[in-house]
Amino acid sequence: MFLTRSEYDRGVNTFSPEGRLFQVEYAIEAIKLGSTVIGICTSEGVVLVVEKRITSPLMEPSTIEKIAEVDRHIGVACSGLTADSKTLIDRARLECQNHWFTYNEKMTVESVSQAVSNLAIKFGDSDDDEGAMSRPFGVALLFAGVDEKGPQLYHMDPSGTYVQYDAKAIGSGSEGAQQTLVEMYNKSMTLKEAVKTSLTILKQVMEEKLNSTNVEVSIVTPKDNFHMYSKEEVEEAIKDVA
Amino acid sequence: MAMSLMRPGGFSYSELANAGPVQHHFSPYTDNGGSIVAVAGKGFALIASDTRLSTGYSILTRDQPKLYDLNSNTVLGCSGCWCDVLSETRLIEARMKLYKHEHQKEMSPGAVAQMLATILYSRRFFPYYVSNVVAGLDANGQGVVYSYDPVGHCDQNLFHAGGSSGALLQPLLDNQIGLLNMEIKPTEPLTLERAKGIIKDVFISAAERDIYTGDGILLKIITKDGITQESMKLRHD
Amino acid sequence: MKGKNCVAIAADRRFGVQLQTIGTDMDKIFEIGPKLFVGIPGLATDTQTVHERLRFRTNVYELRENRPVTPQVLSAMVTNLLYEHRFGPYFVEPVIAGLDPKTNEPFVCGFDVIGCPCEPEDFIVSGTCEEQLLGMCESLYEPNLEPDQLFETISQALVNACDRDAISGWGAKVYIIESDKVTIRKVRTRMD
Repeated sequence: MFLTRSEYDRGVNTFSPEGRLFQVEYAIEAIKLGSTVIGICTSEGVVLVVEKRITSPLMEPSTIEKIAEVDRHIGVACSGLTADSKTLIDRARLECQNHWFTYNEKMTVESVSQAVSNLAIKFGDSDDDEGAMSRPFGVALLFAGVDEKGPQLYHMDPSGTYVQYDAKAIGSGSEGAQQTLVEMYNKSMTLKEAVKTSLTILKQVMEEKLNSTNVEVSIVTPKDNFHMYSKEEVEEAIKDVA
Repeated sequence: MAMSLMRPGGFSYSELANAGPVQHHFSPYTDNGGSIVAVAGKGFALIASDTRLSTGYSILTRDQPKLYDLNSNTVLGCSGCWCDVLSETRLIEARMKLYKHEHQKEMSPGAVAQMLATILYSRRFFPYYVSNVVAGLDANGQGVVYSYDPVGHCDQNLFHAGGSSGALLQPLLDNQIGLLNMEIKPTEPLTLERAKGIIKDVFISAAERDIYTGDGILLKIITKDGITQESMKLRHD
Repeated sequence: MKGKNCVAIAADRRFGVQLQTIGTDMDKIFEIGPKLFVGIPGLATDTQTVHERLRFRTNVYELRENRPVTPQVLSAMVTNLLYEHRFGPYFVEPVIAGLDPKTNEPFVCGFDVIGCPCEPEDFIVSGTCEEQLLGMCESLYEPNLEPDQLFETISQALVNACDRDAISGWGAKVYIIESDKVTIRKVRTRMD
C-alpha cells in the first residue's frame, strides 16, 4: 500500500481518488508496531492480557500501564501510542461518570465504545474546536466490561470503528494470535480457561519468556467487577501455562 | 377656573400628569395549581392527577390532566407553573429520545428519575416552578415513586402527594399506605384495588378543601402489561 | 370535631420559637366551663393573654348573669376580644369546642386573628399544620361518631398531620367532651 504514496497521504481531511484516508490507514498500521494485547469474552466474564515490552533492565516495569480501569465494571487495554491512549481513557472515564451522574446507572460497554469513538474521529476538526486532534489517535483499544447484557468485549481502532468480539488480539503479534484465537475459542469456555488460553497465545507471539513483570492480566466479572491481577496472581496464572 | 379642571373622581389632570413614574412588575412565574398522587406497590405503580387548570380565582380549563407517559413503564406527573410544565416535559421527552438512540434501550424509571434531578438542578437559579412525581416499574417489576423539590432534590418513596393539595394529602397517605400510627396493621400487602380506592378518596377530599384541585382525575396504572388509564369526576365548583 | 352528643378538641404539646423547641409539655387547650373548652394556638404570650382575658370576661359574665357561658356566648366574646385589636392583633387563631350547658348540643367554632368566626357542622382546624389537618379530617371524618370513635378519628387526624409538620408534635392532649363527663387523654406521637 505504501507504493501508492501520493500527495493524498498528507492531510487527514482529504480522500485519495481511490476513496481512502491514508493517515487513518497509517494510524492503523501504527498499531501493528504496538505490543500484543489479547481479550477473550466468556459467559463468566472477560479477560484482558497484555505484553509489556521491557526495553531496558533499568526500566521500572510497573510504570508501563497498558490496562486501565474505566469504571468499576469496565476495563480497557491498549496497543499503540500509549500517550494517545491516556486521552481516550480519560474520555471513557469521564463519559462513564457523566452517565452515572445523569442517569444513576452503569454505562454499557457499547455506549462507552461509542463515546470514545466520537472523540477518536474528531481529528481534522478545526483548531478552535476544543479537544480536537490534528491527526488520528495511534492506538487500538479493547474494552472489556460487564453490563446488563452480560460480559462483553469491544474493539476500537484509530478510525473510530468499534466492533464487538468474542475474542480479539491487537498489536504486533495480532495476526498470528487472532488465528489461534479462532481455533481455540469456544462459547462454553470458563474464565479460567480463557486466562490460560490468552496467556498461552501471548507466550507464542512474544519474543521473551512470560513472567510476572512483562505481562499484565485483568478480568472483569459480574460479581467482582474490574480486577487487575497482582504479581502473585499473575505468577499463579503463568504456572498453568508453562 | 380650578374647578373646571376637576374630574368627577376628585383629582385634576395636572395631578395625574405629575404623579411620577409608574412602575410595572413582571413575575416570570404563575401558579396554575393541580395535584398529583402516586402510589407504588408490588408489581404495579399508580399515578393520578386532577384535571383542573387555574390561575388565581379563575379556571382556565376543567380538562387538562397533568400526566405524561414517558415510555411503557414510566409516567411523570407535573403541576405548578403550566408554562414550565410544558417546557420541562418537552425537554425530558427530547432527552429521552436522545438517550434511546445513543444507548439503544429504553430508559429505566431510575435513569429518568436521576436525569430529571440533574435537569432541575441545572436551573438552580431560575428553577422550573413545578412539583414533579415520577412513577414506574423498576427492572424487577416493582413499583417505584420518585418525588422532587423544584431544584432537583430527588427522593424515592412508596407513595407521594404533590402539587397544591400535597400538604393536605401526604399525612393521609402516611397513615393509610405507610401505616403510620396504626395500632392494628393489615397483614396482606397493598393491593392495586385498595391503592386505587385510596387515591380516589383522597382526591375527593382534596377537591372539598383546595380550590385549585377539582373537576376530575386521570389515573394511570402501570403494570408489566403496560399503562392503562381510568378517569373519575370530581366537584365542578 | 363534632360527634354524636359529644365533641372533641385536641392539640399537640410543643412550645417552640420557629424551629427551636423550648418546651414539650405546653397546654394549648383551656377549660372555660365544665363542658366548654378553647384551644389557642399561635404566639405563646398571646395564647396566655387571650386565655386570661377570656377567663376574666367569662367570670364577669357568670357573676353578672348568674348562668354559665354557652358556647355561642364564648364565641361572641372571642370575636369581640380579637376584633378590639383589629389593627394590632393577637397572633392566635382560637378554636372553641363544647356542649350547650342545657341542651348538650355539640358546638365547634374557629376564628382568624381578628376574630372572624367560622362555625362549621363538622370540624375546624387551626395552627401551623392546618393544611395537613384539613386533609386528614376531610378524609377521616364522618358525622354522628360515638365518643370512642370520635377519639380515634381526632387522634389519628392530629397525630398523622403533626408527623408531617416539623414544628408540631411532642405528644398530644385529646379532650372528649360528653354530657356527663370530660375525658382527657394524652397521645404519644413521634418525639422529634
